[in-house]
Amino acid sequence: MNALPDSIQVFERGWLSSNNILLLGRHDTAIIDTGYLSHAPQTLELVRHALHGRHLDQVINTHLHSDHCGGNAILQAHYGSRTSIPVAEAEKVRHWDVEALSFKATGQRCDRFTFDATIAPGDVLKLADLEWQALGAPGHDPHSLIFYCPQERVLVSADALWENGFGVIFPELDGLSGFAEERATLDLIAGLDVRLVIPGHGAPFNDVAGALARARSRLDYLAADPVRNAQNALKVLLKFLLLERQRIALADVPQLLLAMPVFDTANRNFLHQTPEQLGTWAVSQLVRAAAARIDGEYLLNE
Amino acid sequence: MDSDRQYCMGCLRTIPEIIAWGKADDDYKRAVWAELPLRRQTVHFDEEE
Repeated sequence: MNALPDSIQVFERGWLSSNNILLLGRHDTAIIDTGYLSHAPQTLELVRHALHGRHLDQVINTHLHSDHCGGNAILQAHYGSRTSIPVAEAEKVRHWDVEALSFKATGQRCDRFTFDATIAPGDVLKLADLEWQALGAPGHDPHSLIFYCPQERVLVSADALWENGFGVIFPELDGLSGFAEERATLDLIAGLDVRLVIPGHGAPFNDVAGALARARSRLDYLAADPVRNAQNALKVLLKFLLLERQRIALADVPQLLLAMPVFDTANRNFLHQTPEQLGTWAVSQLVRAAAARIDGEYLLNE
Repeated sequence: MDSDRQYCMGCLRTIPEIIAWGKADDDYKRAVWAELPLRRQTVHFDEEE
């Protein structure tokens, strides 16, 4: 059932850091996605421990969100690993264009890294001595890739498909299309013969049909009223800040939200409320979901 | 990690446990899980990870 070949190791992290997938070939090693910046020393430690003295030859990213590429810089510094990113991100990374990269828009951090190669949908990679197809998976992120290994029937699904849902559909917050792309991505996955999904967050899972049904239902719910997607994004972004900082002064919440351009745009497009109103709402939602608690003047991570 | 660089401050697992987790069975995970309350009481974290 869950069995992966010994040559594929999953480091199941959490929600601040994405999962990392270590691929051990006879002659080369690679990692897919590297976690969040503040966890980078732990990422390096995990990689060193699991490699048993071997060199990390390649770093590959499904997409360039801060929780998937925050360990790139430390791994490059330590190993000089050849780094491959989605082709559409190449110019932004080459010039480290913080306006175009997602980190600034979402109030998150990422150490600057470089790249040596790009990956386009349709490319075939050799990782862990297996062939992997790179597939375009827009929706959560317009340039995201997922990786499918027909021989093992394993899919690295990034944030396009989780056991329960998928990542925030960011393009829609900017008034761009994302729901239709996510739907097409789910259809693409449904057409693959998959026995095991390694998602960007959460444990690997086998029930692909169940996950697709839940994802489609969730997508229908969000697409029926884009305000829901904006509200969900607001909750997720506040929770992400809380995961990083562990505690936030309640009085700072409106200012922190305002500092995220993506939130500012989403508010203008969909929510139409003052930062104070939205801050109060987002805090109450996290508390209600037991994702945070209030202690005096602070919001604490739960 | 905690001050002794032994446990992840988020999940309280050790580095070998995080590595083993992906292929571990439920018994292994439950055994680690059972230790967490004790670890939470005894470990100390730096201000920053």
